[in-house]
Amino acid sequence: MDNEMTLSFVALSENESLARIAVTSFVAQLDPTIDELSEFKTIVSEAVSNAIIHGYDEDGKGIVTVHAVREGDVVSVVVKDEGKGIPDIQKAMEPLFTTKPDMERSGMGFTIMESFADHLQVESEPGVGTVVTFSKKFHSMKMKQIS
Amino acid sequence: MNYEINMENDIAIIRLYGELDHHETEKIRNDISKTIMKGKLNTIIWNLERLNFMDSSGVGLILGRMRELSAVNGQTIILNPSNTMKKIFQYSGLSKFVMEGKEEEAILYARGIVNG
Repeated sequence: MDNEMTLSFVALSENESLARIAVTSFVAQLDPTIDELSEFKTIVSEAVSNAIIHGYDEDGKGIVTVHAVREGDVVSVVVKDEGKGIPDIQKAMEPLFTTKPDMERSGMGFTIMESFADHLQVESEPGVGTVVTFSKKFHSMKMKQIS
Repeated sequence: MNYEINMENDIAIIRLYGELDHHETEKIRNDISKTIMKGKLNTIIWNLERLNFMDSSGVGLILGRMRELSAVNGQTIILNPSNTMKKIFQYSGLSKFVMEGKEEEAILYARGIVNG
């Protein structure tokens, strides 16, 4: 393992940007391209927003944890909450499915996460919480120049 | 996060700046909605050129306003999104509303559809 970080915060939506800033700094050493970086930030933003909005209903008390590990040019991230959990993961991952249409949630979060991550796994248990794990490989600009 | 709305008769140009996420969307949605409902609007042009980041909450924001516009058969143009945003719009079935160019061109295009 080359680097590791853990960030914990309460379930307030203003912390979505905090999570993005932290992971952006964490991967900065890899010299990501603009597109790689924005895709990575999007995955984190979706996972963290889900935890805050759906896991905890933005209660400002529940704790969301973002744990990131870098090994070479691959970054793995775990976003964990101990909120209400997802009763049917398959259903939740269907494009356009949302439990909060009144909030104009588009239901595209998981589809976007799956598309932008190299690997994505969702584990959840009602009443226990949800763990989203994903990894993404960075093809840094430096490495492209060498090869 | 910041935004500007410019009304050109029946066209609203909404310029978004900074980072658009769920938190920011909640803050600006009502405001944007009220402003566009005031006028006799039939087109919204979302200028995303200066938007640095957007996640799926941006899709929710745009889809929500499209729904409001559908009452008057209005149309939507998503102008100059980043590559990552383009992919997000593509997954969400909104690619056909994406356009690249200047605001003036988007306005002409919108008028063309409306009048032609």
